[in-house]
Amino acid sequence: MQQRNRLEPFFENLSFDREDNRMVINFGPQHPSAHGQLRLILELDGEKIVKAVPDIGYLHRGMEKMAENMIYNEFLPTTDRMDYIAATSNNYAFAFAVEKLLGIENEVPRRAKVIRTILLELNRIISHLFWLATHALDVGAMSVFLYCFREREYALDLIEDYCGARLTHSSVRIGGVPLDLPEGWLEKLSVYLNNLPRQIELYEGLLDENRIWRMRLENVGVIPPEMAKSWGCSGIMLRGSGIEWDIRKEEPYELYDELDFDIPVSTTCDSYGRYKLYMEEMRQSIRIIRQLIPMYKDTKPQLMARVPQYISAPKEDIMTQNYSLMQHFVLVTQGMRPPVGEVYVPTESPKGELGFFIRSEGEPYPYRLKVRAPSFWHTSILQDLLPGHYLADVVTIIGSTNIVFGEIDR
Amino acid sequence: MMRPYRPKDNVQKKSYYTDRFWVAPKIPKIDVKEDEVFASDTKKIKEKFDIKDAYIQRGQLVVEIDPKINKDLLFFLRDELEYDMLMELSAIDYLAQSGEFEIFYQLLSMSKRKRVRVKCRIKENEAIESVNSVFRSADWSEREMYDMFGIVVNNHPYLKRLLMPDDWVGYPLRKTYPLQGDEAAQWYEIDKIFGKEYREVVGPEMRDPAYINENDTNNFARYKHEVPKGAPADSEPIEIDSFNEDAPLVETFDLKKSKFVNRDR
Amino acid sequence: MAQHQVNYAASGGLPVALTTVDKIVNWGRTNSLWALTYGLACCAIEMMATGASRYDFDRFGVIFRASPRQADVMIVAGTLTKKHAEFIRRLYDQMAEPKWVISMGSCANTGGMFNTYATVQGVDRVIPVDLYLPGCAPRPETLQYAVMLLQKKLRKKTIFNRQKPKRLV
Repeated sequence: MQQRNRLEPFFENLSFDREDNRMVINFGPQHPSAHGQLRLILELDGEKIVKAVPDIGYLHRGMEKMAENMIYNEFLPTTDRMDYIAATSNNYAFAFAVEKLLGIENEVPRRAKVIRTILLELNRIISHLFWLATHALDVGAMSVFLYCFREREYALDLIEDYCGARLTHSSVRIGGVPLDLPEGWLEKLSVYLNNLPRQIELYEGLLDENRIWRMRLENVGVIPPEMAKSWGCSGIMLRGSGIEWDIRKEEPYELYDELDFDIPVSTTCDSYGRYKLYMEEMRQSIRIIRQLIPMYKDTKPQLMARVPQYISAPKEDIMTQNYSLMQHFVLVTQGMRPPVGEVYVPTESPKGELGFFIRSEGEPYPYRLKVRAPSFWHTSILQDLLPGHYLADVVTIIGSTNIVFGEIDR
Repeated sequence: MMRPYRPKDNVQKKSYYTDRFWVAPKIPKIDVKEDEVFASDTKKIKEKFDIKDAYIQRGQLVVEIDPKINKDLLFFLRDELEYDMLMELSAIDYLAQSGEFEIFYQLLSMSKRKRVRVKCRIKENEAIESVNSVFRSADWSEREMYDMFGIVVNNHPYLKRLLMPDDWVGYPLRKTYPLQGDEAAQWYEIDKIFGKEYREVVGPEMRDPAYINENDTNNFARYKHEVPKGAPADSEPIEIDSFNEDAPLVETFDLKKSKFVNRDR
Repeated sequence: MAQHQVNYAASGGLPVALTTVDKIVNWGRTNSLWALTYGLACCAIEMMATGASRYDFDRFGVIFRASPRQADVMIVAGTLTKKHAEFIRRLYDQMAEPKWVISMGSCANTGGMFNTYATVQGVDRVIPVDLYLPGCAPRPETLQYAVMLLQKKLRKKTIFNRQKPKRLV
């Protein structure tokens, strides 16, 4: 006997015989290829979609409310769980926003900047590999899923060597990084980077000229540039529409102004063009990390900014000097008090523009923290993008937008 | 001992100690003339609109306006000044201080590589005009703002709750809303699935994730040996490892060695 | 045509294997625990990694199914929110008996770090749970160990006593 409960059978939005010969179907919120908990209510005319209403909020965990009840350092691990595929890029975006609020973004030591940039680009590779794996699985290419996860695991091993976690890294702190790179890590990294381009060629060999892949991706999910601008697209969704805009180039942060890399742009505006961009971006990330490896050697070993008002001194000072210990105690028990004001700081995460808006009232707790998550805006475009496509294309379009529900619902 | 006074209009966590003489520093507001692009933009805006204040904060232009002209100003910024993307839109709750909400629009100009923040303040019961016709991306942000703060947006095509369920009570991001929710929030899933009469059976939420209780054999809080679900706490433990993994699954029947058993006795 | 002449009694072994019904049923049951893909949040990524190439989950007979009608075990991977709670109960009701639930990760166990208005404080408020799996997020090895523990638990069951449906309330 089933447990007695109040839930009725769920057929109220499913009607087969309507006068206008349209069918309403419910997609999600628990669907294997919705990349999370997306619920779509689709109105079909035959197999064509007439109207699509995305429904989100099934992973709303109240992170912005949590931020108002936490001191700044306390909130940092929570940002891991937003875009959980590339956790460091969230940590970094938050830490960078707080540094901007405090006005100490130039105090961050160079070694910390090198480590941060390496981690950011490694996270970009991990995220893009994961995107390719799940997207290929949705389209039906099971073997690409297995190959991509193999490479992703090697990258996760590197991250694990550095910070001890596979998924939720918390490897960036406000004002620097907590740890230096372990011995031999850069050598392992270069071995990985030497191997990766061959693997990318393998994926492209499997997919580029694959007839099924091309037929399901070409001229599907076309986003014209005006539409992309009006819907606030960013990242690859914007560059896939022929607009060259990358925050790493245009408003450079960390070491990106010293590095040499290209911004790939596709003018086809469809899913296939975006797929090509993802592959090209992985190559560019490899190129960036290769330039960063020699930079590491001529940096001083300092890892955290020396701003005693906001950031604890190194452990050695805390253990030996009374004043540092007092500062550390106050910063841990009460938290840092940033100046009154507000900042909006954008960064280029693997998904697009990840921005943090912080309003501070001079208290240890932020008065308001708003996350500008790229996936949120890329999901809202579905209501304009899906009508006119076939039902089978829904999955590939959702796949090519690369949405993650942790940061949509926050 | 006196119970400490907690203000009802802001129930968020506050610092337990602040030095009496401590004055919070402020992020400086720089004059718009420091930056050429912002100076000319502000001049053009001032020619057409009546704005309250304009300054540069941390490299971005901030324009404070009256809420009535928000749509016209955004149209002007988009068409004339090339601020053609809306990157962020949300509100801040200042009900405790002045009974107002502050709404901000974060714009980006890709051709000028500049960012502008337009801010306006509305009273609690006022509504604001939708900017959905200027930027389509405002659609969901305004819905989220309505969901989280209860700010009504006029002329919005589909103003409904976005993140919370439709039958949710209260507006979560207001300062009067506690972090762990009001009563309706705490019993929401029980009321919906089992009904209100099951509240007592299931029991209240345990809000301490580190809570342990050796007598609780129903839930996660037990820390001693495992017993069947709901059994008394001191009953016999389940021995998961008692199954002999090495024993063969099947036993071959050897006819030669076997004997017939006389069933008739 | 040659006659197939084997004297089983003489050559010392019958092609007959005897076992108990319990053992053979549990053998089949434990080695094909089909899991419902119930990825909710971060833990879902680790669940996918468990199913992918390095931590090949098929070795344990765990194959992810998208339909609750074909699944035996529900791995609740991630944060359950109040808006979603209704649907997890619905899908649990749709699964065929016998069914088991693994609650994966701190969020599913107790609400974890998300001690907020929108999160269900432990999935066991809504559905009965057999195995709690701590960690945020648990590593794939942990999930494999959890499935092995569940297999051990199942092997002890006899099939002649009808399984009492687990009651939550």
